[in-house]
Amino acid sequence: MTIFFQIAINGLLVGMIYALITVGLSLIWGVMNVINFAHGDFLMVAMYISYWLGFLVHMDPIISWIASGTFCFILGILTYRLIIRRCLSGPVLSALLATFGLSLVIRNFCLNRFSPNFRLLRKTLLGGKKIVLGGLYLPLPQLVTGIFALVVVFVIYYIIKRTRLGWAIEAVAMDKEAAELMGINTDKIFALLCGMSGACVGIAGGLLPSYLTVYPEVGVLFCFIAFVCVAMGGFGSILGALMAALLVGLVEAFGGFYIAPIFKYVVIFGLYLVVVTFRPKGLFGW
Amino acid sequence: MKNLKKKGILFITLTVFMLVSLFGGAAFAAEKVIKIGTLFPLTGPCALAGARCKIAVETAIEVINNKHPECKVPLAESEGVLDGYKFVLVSADHGGKPDVGKIEAERLFDREKVYTIIGCYNSAVTKPASFVAERRKKIFMCGCSSSAALTQRGFKYFFRLAPHDEIESREFCDVLIWLNKTKNAGIKTVGCIYENTEFGKHAADEAKKAAKAAGFNYTTDIPYSPGATNLDSEVMTLRAKNPDAVFGACLGSDYTLWVRTMKQMGWLPKIAINYCSGYQDPVIAKQLGDDGNYFTGGTGYAPGFADMMPAVAAVEDIYKSKVKLTVPFDSDSIQECIAMFILAQAIEKAGTLDYDKVRETLYANEWESPMSIGGKVVFVEGGQNDKAMSIITQLQGGKYKGVFPPESATAKIVFPIIPWDKR
Repeated sequence: MTIFFQIAINGLLVGMIYALITVGLSLIWGVMNVINFAHGDFLMVAMYISYWLGFLVHMDPIISWIASGTFCFILGILTYRLIIRRCLSGPVLSALLATFGLSLVIRNFCLNRFSPNFRLLRKTLLGGKKIVLGGLYLPLPQLVTGIFALVVVFVIYYIIKRTRLGWAIEAVAMDKEAAELMGINTDKIFALLCGMSGACVGIAGGLLPSYLTVYPEVGVLFCFIAFVCVAMGGFGSILGALMAALLVGLVEAFGGFYIAPIFKYVVIFGLYLVVVTFRPKGLFGW
Repeated sequence: MKNLKKKGILFITLTVFMLVSLFGGAAFAAEKVIKIGTLFPLTGPCALAGARCKIAVETAIEVINNKHPECKVPLAESEGVLDGYKFVLVSADHGGKPDVGKIEAERLFDREKVYTIIGCYNSAVTKPASFVAERRKKIFMCGCSSSAALTQRGFKYFFRLAPHDEIESREFCDVLIWLNKTKNAGIKTVGCIYENTEFGKHAADEAKKAAKAAGFNYTTDIPYSPGATNLDSEVMTLRAKNPDAVFGACLGSDYTLWVRTMKQMGWLPKIAINYCSGYQDPVIAKQLGDDGNYFTGGTGYAPGFADMMPAVAAVEDIYKSKVKLTVPFDSDSIQECIAMFILAQAIEKAGTLDYDKVRETLYANEWESPMSIGGKVVFVEGGQNDKAMSIITQLQGGKYKGVFPPESATAKIVFPIIPWDKR
């Protein structure tokens, strides 16, 4: 039974990290109908910022997430202003292709500047630490990242559901033209959404180097899993993204242990196919 | 008058054209160049290792092309081969992808007109890329790809320098038998964690065969997707099955993740022995710090072997000057460097660039290789270096110490691995 609960804990912790990465993607995909292919690369950039702050000025990831979150917030806004905005009036695929190009530029820039080296922060405050409770262990870096994920997701949820800004975002998501007629500045809303999306992934990337290696391709698989979570949770649904990410984490952990470790990603993508077959709008989509 | 002027311009143009053709052509003819293609992963999860392999070939070319009397390796005291031919490197990147590797190999041969290709680090890429060379009857030199299957295909133009998984698996089992005899280790069960690629799968197959042949019970088989976001399920499964010994075939950042996940779960086998993997990467070993200690693995070269292989130092200095991080050779990059030296020696000895003659020369001779552990290279059918060997090392205090075979040992093995909470 201990093993069962341990797997559940591992799955939930992994799922919470996926949630933090997914929420940002869900925001712009749901509201703007834009797929940001560079989302995983934003994560990688945030991880590099956290790594370099840790390496050069000994700032721990527990603090440097502020810098990486802020940087990615600005990066998100710039991406909107310089790239996405120009694609919105074009065919649906143009934004996807443009962000795909951005992804290649960012990745190759990092490859060129930082080399393909794997970089690992050694002495972090949380690194290697864990809490042991009755035979169950909770790795502290993942636990703290998970708590951050929950807080950020609920802050975003609160903003969307309880503030005038959130209502404006929801209005834009439902009908952009009607929202504009009501006096909502959709351009500003979109820019802010891209910023918020960047900030979420920036916070995740800022915290991850406390236990993960940083290298230019680190964001690729995270990004794919985030796409799955968004589609499973329902486009634009914050709670849906959270629940889907937790579900993906649990399915990955249980599938990996009880079926075979090699099948853990197969199970995730299999579940995704089942969900989109029977409920194309996702589990919590409207 | 106007006509005369036109004729004058035409005459001058023709004269210039003829002069350029004559002397320019002579200049090109005088340029004796042998293009060597390198095909390594310069992007992707193994990019760091690939970049070092490429620089290792570059180093060998530098030593062969110019006089380097300080290097006590063949061809260092002369300039080039075949009375003035110099090698030029043409580099390509496969990113760890077999399909890209195949296309790049075709491009290198057909468009870049390289004489041979050296590569490809990842066995999964070496397989299709060397097939491209074989079809064209051109030589393919493989430094470190370790899948045993590569030299079991009966290819005529394929040559590999490093020991393959079959040899390493047998060596690993010899270590376990030795530990059972000398330290009463009680090792009965063996598991293997490996990336789900050509390299990993073959390593696991050979591990299974060798373990069974040596009388061990192969209980745990854990493939994983390279570049995984976490290895929790994999390590949980290892912990649940608790094999006494684990063989690891984890490359790059996956190796780091594996070690760190075991630390988080507070689990270790009695001994963990690694194939050509992240274990052998001095940069990863440094980054892991104390966490990387007491793991073991097959090693073709480590700075601790300097007394055994004195010729390496001078070549390594040139190599280090090309690598910004000033890291030494590792087991993989040194094999690529050796591959270049052996090829150059074969061309020189054959006295021609004819592929068949060079191939026959490669097979017919025992090659001096002061940068190899055995000091010699001999190719047998299939292209495997029959003298390939590695020493089992253990990371102690962040340094690779030879621990097996006992006659090559530079330190005593720490057994079992010291548990995480007692470090």
